[in-house]
Amino acid sequence: MLRKLLKYEWKSVSKILFPLNLGIIVLTVIGCAILTTNIFDTKEALPVALLLVIFYTLSIMSFSGITLVYIYVHFYKNLFTAEGYLWHTLPVARTQLFHSKLLTGCFWCCLNTLFTMLSTAALGFAAGLHAAQKDMDALQRLLMDGSLPTTADSAMAGFSFTDIFGYSPVIFVILLLLTMLTSCISSVLMGYLSILLGQLMEKYRLAASVGFYIGIYLITQTFSSLAMITPNIRLLLDSGNESSSYFLSSFFCTMFPAAIISQLILILIFYFASLFLIRRNINLE
Amino acid sequence: MILLECKELTKKYGNRTALSNINLQIESGHIIGLLGPNGSGKTTLIKLINGLLEPDSGTVCINGKPVGVESKSVISYLPDHTYLNGSMRVRDIMDFFDDFYEDFDSMRAYDMLAKLQINPNHKLKTLSKGTQEKVQLILVMSRRARLYILDEPIAGVDPAARDYILGTILSNYEETASILISTHLISDIENILDEVIFIQNGMLRTHASVDDLRQKEHKSIDTIFREVFKC
Repeated sequence: MLRKLLKYEWKSVSKILFPLNLGIIVLTVIGCAILTTNIFDTKEALPVALLLVIFYTLSIMSFSGITLVYIYVHFYKNLFTAEGYLWHTLPVARTQLFHSKLLTGCFWCCLNTLFTMLSTAALGFAAGLHAAQKDMDALQRLLMDGSLPTTADSAMAGFSFTDIFGYSPVIFVILLLLTMLTSCISSVLMGYLSILLGQLMEKYRLAASVGFYIGIYLITQTFSSLAMITPNIRLLLDSGNESSSYFLSSFFCTMFPAAIISQLILILIFYFASLFLIRRNINLE
Repeated sequence: MILLECKELTKKYGNRTALSNINLQIESGHIIGLLGPNGSGKTTLIKLINGLLEPDSGTVCINGKPVGVESKSVISYLPDHTYLNGSMRVRDIMDFFDDFYEDFDSMRAYDMLAKLQINPNHKLKTLSKGTQEKVQLILVMSRRARLYILDEPIAGVDPAARDYILGTILSNYEETASILISTHLISDIENILDEVIFIQNGMLRTHASVDDLRQKEHKSIDTIFREVFKC
């Protein structure tokens, strides 16, 4: 039954989220095409370039926001409005309903985040490639190890990627992806949990869900910030005495494990709390 | 054979008691009218039987088993409002029911659609409200279920459509199955009922055979209802 649920869930959600994510690809292709031309080489073109960067950033943020909100709305609409009468009377366990929506929601959220990261990387690479075309050595470095051209007076001049970020490029990307993926799953679960908590109320359930979401968001942000800052307190206090690259590499070395572990803890809490609520409490209005 | 059994069933909404200590048994092969004024608890009872509400106390059993996956596979439920996704085509909804319900007879469903000249390629939201209700009824009655629960199936439709709906219900249900119909329009369905359940203020007032009640009171069910629930 879970397979059938996933099939219908996929069909239903893809109608909106497929075109939305296609939008990111189109935006990226256009952005890369613009960045590889010489139209921004003049000073006069700077305001237009700035506007395009703002447009790109806002569009990408909107696509991510809409994806997440749509995943929440779809969950709420399917299970707790008139459509809930259809889904909750199907001969399937409530946990299967929940898992089908969770898997689809997480897939689209992760895909969206991945596309966003790839889009940013592609634009960065296109800009770097264009800048390096005038400098063959820099171009070679860019193509070999992804190092972007740096100016001679840059604070980071002379340092390798590992010196600055604390990890080799491959490990850094893997850790970044893991952080993003765990963050996506925890975000989806946080929305679902808030909606399920809202259902415990007698009235104004939707407003209560929004309230729970804000409350949980504030608590988790505080918790995550503490988890990331605490190991770095000494580093922050000594930052004046250390080089920028040492500060950054140490920061990334503690930030990634702290972020991934804290997100994993949140995922477990949100998941089991949601499972408990969906098993125990369904009272459709 | 007892198909549905409610024991000491109670449901509260905050401080308000919607259903209080309902004890009820429904056997196979009967058409039962669930009758009561607005706010008497009919829809609450139906939602509890379908697992859309959690009881505060008491139990509901279908075929001797509590509400769950098994009970949902033998109950065919028609809510009192549109509950299908309007952006789906009628054909997609048929496929959806065919996928999830083993007892769904798609041939029967398409046959009924053809008789009513409903194009299965149309999206549900493009159909009129009455046609949407007919599509929902076709879906529900195309299942070979053990228990059909119909919440206000003839409310808000014209008399001709009412006849069609009642005809569809009678000609499509399995004789070993039972039908529980909740309605206010008693005179329209009185002739097809075997039993009636009167609910008032969340309590079971009467559960009796239609023939016995008529013989005892020498009145129609509609008249008895009007007298019992006189404002």
